[in-house]
Amino acid sequence: MTLFLGAAMVAAAVVIFIIQPVAKGIHASLERADDELTETEARKRVALLALRDVEYDFLAGKLDENDYRSLKGELTAEALAALEADENARSQVGSVGSEDVEAEIRAIRLGLHEGSVPCPDCGYVNVTGSRFCSACGHSLQAGVAG
Amino acid sequence: MTVLGEFALWIALPVAIWGMFLGFFGGKTQRGDLVLSAERSIYAVTFLLSLASIGIIAAFLGDKYQYWYVASYSNRDLETFYKFAGLWAGQRGSLLFWALLLSIFASITVFQNRNKNREFMPYVAGVLQGIFTFFLVVLLFAKVNPFQKLAFLPADGQGLNPQLQNYWMTIHPPTLYLGFTAFTIPFAFAMAALLNGRLDSRWIVLTRRWVLLSWFFLSVGILLGMRWAYEELGWGGYWFWDPVENASLLPWLTATAFLHSIQIQEKRGMLKVWNMSLVSMTFLLTIFATFLTRSGLIQSVHAFAEQLRIAYIFLAFLGTVTAGVVVLILYRLPKLQSENRIESFLSRESAFLFNNLILVGAAFAVLWGTIFPLIAEGVTGQKISVGPPFFNKVNIPIGLALLALAGIGPVIGWRRASKRNLRKNFLVPLVATFVISATLWVVGVRHAVALTTWGIGLFVLIITGVEFWKGTRARARIEKEPLPIAFYHLVTRNRRRWGGYIVHVGIVLTFAGLAGASYNQDVRKHLMPGDTMNVASPWGHTYHLTYEGLSSSIGRGQRNLDWQAIALFSVREGNKALPNMTTEKRKYVTADQIMTEVGIHTTPEEDLYLILSALDNPSGALNNDPNAQGINLQVLVKPLVIWIWWGGLVLVVGSVIALWPSADRRRDLEDEAPEEPAAIAVGAT
Repeated sequence: MTLFLGAAMVAAAVVIFIIQPVAKGIHASLERADDELTETEARKRVALLALRDVEYDFLAGKLDENDYRSLKGELTAEALAALEADENARSQVGSVGSEDVEAEIRAIRLGLHEGSVPCPDCGYVNVTGSRFCSACGHSLQAGVAG
Repeated sequence: MTVLGEFALWIALPVAIWGMFLGFFGGKTQRGDLVLSAERSIYAVTFLLSLASIGIIAAFLGDKYQYWYVASYSNRDLETFYKFAGLWAGQRGSLLFWALLLSIFASITVFQNRNKNREFMPYVAGVLQGIFTFFLVVLLFAKVNPFQKLAFLPADGQGLNPQLQNYWMTIHPPTLYLGFTAFTIPFAFAMAALLNGRLDSRWIVLTRRWVLLSWFFLSVGILLGMRWAYEELGWGGYWFWDPVENASLLPWLTATAFLHSIQIQEKRGMLKVWNMSLVSMTFLLTIFATFLTRSGLIQSVHAFAEQLRIAYIFLAFLGTVTAGVVVLILYRLPKLQSENRIESFLSRESAFLFNNLILVGAAFAVLWGTIFPLIAEGVTGQKISVGPPFFNKVNIPIGLALLALAGIGPVIGWRRASKRNLRKNFLVPLVATFVISATLWVVGVRHAVALTTWGIGLFVLIITGVEFWKGTRARARIEKEPLPIAFYHLVTRNRRRWGGYIVHVGIVLTFAGLAGASYNQDVRKHLMPGDTMNVASPWGHTYHLTYEGLSSSIGRGQRNLDWQAIALFSVREGNKALPNMTTEKRKYVTADQIMTEVGIHTTPEEDLYLILSALDNPSGALNNDPNAQGINLQVLVKPLVIWIWWGGLVLVVGSVIALWPSADRRRDLEDEAPEEPAAIAVGAT
């Protein structure tokens, strides 16, 4: 008897638990949360990551200067396109990122647009916004800081 | 409790079916109430499967032998610990255990994503419930219900196979199952991405932790299985290309391929169809592995004929999933186009692609070697065995090529690498490798496979060391940090990359240990008490073993033990005395076979491995007859075996580093995201 009571209670609890949302109209959200990466953000992230990888590969001696320059040119164009696409998407949705993020994006874009800052030490041409020279590591703090 | 457990299993089926339909339908119609109900049904299934599992464990602990499963895998004298492990000792419990582990992972997934990634969740819930439906149908309708009762009540059970009464064996299957089931989550997200049409790399970002976790458990599970075979099976090896072993290796191979290829999709937006195929292939292989090992198929095709129902259900499921995946991929093909293409043959992308082709090639070779004998037996009626020679011939070159890629890949830049740079980067490691390999050859290492493996392994170690050094130095210089701090930050800022390199080191150590088998020594001799046997080690020294005699006991000692006869040896290496060693024969009351317990003396150079092959006269020996003390002894010297296990430990360390959550939640979520322009310039983050 106790057994049947136990089994009935388990079954009833399970049924109530799973039927309740439908019966009472409790809805789970199916919207994307605000802090999730959107597709354009993901593209932006991929573009910036690729730029970072090229810098890293060049620093580690895996790319020679010519390849590095041409790759960086292409990637910068891609990153810019991605940043702009992301910005457009944001303005359409009207979502507001934090001001820090906006400022960061502006700084990156400014850097990418304006092109380059030569290193005072070795003359290597860095992306504006870089704090350190990609070739020799010399501080570029006088440049536009992120 | 046990009756309640069986009842829970029966309710779980309609709950899973309900959740499956509501998940898919709720996703399609975007109805939040249906989706919430589907998600709740996952928690409900977890609860019900837990009740069922508790029911089985309670039956084991309570010695309820009216249940077929308990009677077949336990008896009154079995230690409590092994009774508890009875849940996964046999086919029926294992299937339930598999579903239980999956349900726990599924509940974690639903809970983690209750407020985020909502566009995926309806379909994730639907797919997971589909898989539960399949397992519950198998459990309830394929004559493998663990709650099935016998027509009578036996006084005692048949006991657990003595070979399974080993601590490695109690943790090996759960570890492997954790690996199998954890991979279901990435599969569910991949299917959700195909269904909801969000086919950028989001699903990969969301699930790569699960992929790593699964890979980690699979690797550890496989190594634990090797360790168990080595210590317990008594034939002196750790891998026999046995179908059960192959079954666990198959998803590991494709999961390893997937782990590498998702990086190309994340970074370059390429290989989308390939990644979908790999994630599905790996999932299907985990199911296939469960099917192969838990359906009785491998014992014999003919014996298996009695179990046709479970085979049909499994094959129907594998076929349905395959067809579903193919249709979905074809349907979404326009959205699965690559955003980029491989620019150069000399690039990280193409190295990864090679790695993938090799791994998948290896998986197909192993799969073919595993199922060919079954097909042949089914068709011709003749039992054909595809043994270690086939697998070694195919897989040793494949393994060596892979090992070489672990050294080549990290040095090649993304997109395109110039030949001049390759020369510059490879010159020193290659020369160093060549010099050390030549030295090895001069000192007498002439075995081609061993020399090649160690040479390539060395190459990978040097390259990896240089990568760590270059990264640390760059960071130290840029951030003006002392080297140890720079090293710490280097690793913690990109755990996946550096954790991955540490895993490569572990793989090198394991391969180095496996190659030691080329120098195995095998000496067999008949011995009487007082006899001495000399065994030469490939390192140059000689072991002197003196057989001191047998000590036997009847009906005492461990539980379930009928008798045991222990042969004792005093051992010297040159003039140095080593601890005494024993090897024994055991007979358990619960098994007809006589078991061998081996003796192992381990050093970093080699294992000395004693196998008591036979007693001259077992009954005389048990009666302490002085004339019945003769034995046949097999002595193996197995170089570098411990490096296999050490490699496993390094692999664990590397995986844990890669899996470790980052302190910053946002970074943790997106991992590796460049936070600021400086990060781009510093590069070494």
